Amino acid sequence: MAEVLLSIKEVEVRRGMGTVLSAYDLDVFGGDILVITGENGSGKSTVIETAARLLPLEKGHVSHHGHLTHHADGRRLNPIKPFGLTLQSNGVIGSETVEDHLQTVAMLSGVQLNHEPLLESYNMDHRKADVIGHLSGGQARKIAVLTGLIPAMVSASPTLVLLDEPDAGLDDHAIDSLIGQITSLAAAGHGFLIASHNPKIQSIATKLHDLSTTVEGVPNDAKPWTALGTKVQPRNTLFRTGHRYASSTHSGLARNGIVSMMVLGCLLALGDPANLPTGLWTTGAILAPAFASGLVGDPTTHLLRENRAVDWWRAQGQRTPAATGLGLMVGTMVTVAASYVMLGLVDVYLVVIGALMCEFTMKAVRFLNASTQRLSRPNAVFIRLLLPAFILPWALIVSWAAEL
Amino acid sequence: MAGRRAEAFLGLGFLGIMTTLYLGFQWAPSVAIDAFESPAAQRIFYWHVPAAWAAFIAFAVLFAGSMMWFFKRSPLGWRLHVAGAEAGLACGLITVWSGCVWGAAEWGTPWDWTDVRLNTFGLLTLLALFLVLGRQSQPDGVETRDTFSTFGLYGFILVPFTYIATRIWEIRHPGPVVAAGDDGGSLSGDMTVVLLIGALSFTIFIIGHILMSMRITGLEQRLEQAQNHIDGGN
Repeated sequence: MAEVLLSIKEVEVRRGMGTVLSAYDLDVFGGDILVITGENGSGKSTVIETAARLLPLEKGHVSHHGHLTHHADGRRLNPIKPFGLTLQSNGVIGSETVEDHLQTVAMLSGVQLNHEPLLESYNMDHRKADVIGHLSGGQARKIAVLTGLIPAMVSASPTLVLLDEPDAGLDDHAIDSLIGQITSLAAAGHGFLIASHNPKIQSIATKLHDLSTTVEGVPNDAKPWTALGTKVQPRNTLFRTGHRYASSTHSGLARNGIVSMMVLGCLLALGDPANLPTGLWTTGAILAPAFASGLVGDPTTHLLRENRAVDWWRAQGQRTPAATGLGLMVGTMVTVAASYVMLGLVDVYLVVIGALMCEFTMKAVRFLNASTQRLSRPNAVFIRLLLPAFILPWALIVSWAAEL
Repeated sequence: MAGRRAEAFLGLGFLGIMTTLYLGFQWAPSVAIDAFESPAAQRIFYWHVPAAWAAFIAFAVLFAGSMMWFFKRSPLGWRLHVAGAEAGLACGLITVWSGCVWGAAEWGTPWDWTDVRLNTFGLLTLLALFLVLGRQSQPDGVETRDTFSTFGLYGFILVPFTYIATRIWEIRHPGPVVAAGDDGGSLSGDMTVVLLIGALSFTIFIIGHILMSMRITGLEQRLEQAQNHIDGGN
């Protein structure tokens, strides 16, 4: 008997004001190619996203490899094994290069991967150094599909793969490659849950499911896939990825740095800093740029909203990539500059306070932003209305620092 | 019938609020000339204090509604949440505005970012503004309701914090004049009467506001259901 890779039990899921799934059960076993069929809006993507732990459950629970991963009581636990996921939106950040992105996905499974043969299978090897945002829609979709397949491709043990409309935008050759890889991976014991209207993909299904009944499909007699890559110990993947996101877009400079420089410039535009009334005002003027920089927030939060990348990361674990430490760097630089301009020297105490203030403010703003992540239009919400909460702590720190 | 009741409460409350304004400015006795920098401005308290009282009632309704939605998925809870946020915003803005008027006359500055009471109450009003504007920016659904209910639940922490703020850190905002404990109050009998009329009027007004808001939210929900029905959804 094959291992149960995914078990959805007695689940009720609501989207908007409607109940999409009610008392819903589904099991995916190793070796299954379970294709969900149904009209638009019938709930296919809801099943995929429920399996990926992205949707809150009203009732029931979801398990991966027999271990609870999500429960209606709010428990949301990391899966014991990485799983593949391709969302309907690609879930990839446009500023990443193809090879960096695929390497990161492989690293989440603890594997170093030569991705060139995989890219060749989709006629994408000449694009490996390109930024994903520069690819066509179909090419970017190929990368999103490979993203979903890689955890199974690098694993010798059964792995769950969730693919939501993987064929959307793919050419015939790419669909043939995808079908070849799915059947081969399933033959090696990996389990697939796929939402698709495509007749070619439905034709390889070992099980066809229409959200109420499951019928047997065709047997899979493909040659089993051999796991790729070499095992490595993943280290600080979220930290490294967060900083790569921030540095590849220069968003730390563009978002945080510019704002701090603007604040410093505006203060200097008021006149000679030597004429500031008291030490308190001078200290405030020195620390204000770092504080303003922190209020902009972690630049990766903004980047992760592209193509639902944040949801892809949330599905993989509890945390998302963050540019931890960027606030320390930016805060140090702007406070050094502000201290030199205002005092004619670099006050080390103020630089340390500015760096810490920038980092902590950035983290707090990131937390506020994360709290609206589930909304369907998170960018439209006025979360920054709550930022004045930071003014009092800032004022207290400034008055304390002025007495040092 | 429920609609008429809301309008009656609103009308009665409005009348009372206007009466309070008149009594506060024309009838209530003046405070001692040396008690404040700007003794005449003190009369705005007859609006300021009852408005803050009503805002706290609204925030309590917001909290209760958020709990009912979050833990029980109660549609009534969501309507209370919406009504509490809107009423809290209305009364919060009146409180902040009247406080700023008094602060400008008494302290020479309308706002002090280092005063804890001012900060926590200002933040509560901003939270209500966030909830009102945020709800309008999002399609109605469990995701929207869950997120804003969470803010309603955690935001309520600010209410007791605001209440005790002047007892622990009296920086600029004056300490309590009603229910002041061992320190005793500083109000004369006539002042207390005007203040009580104000509190009662604002309470009646806020009840009308909440009833009206719940009625409008209920109608919005019915409209959405009718639209979904026309679209062929459930």
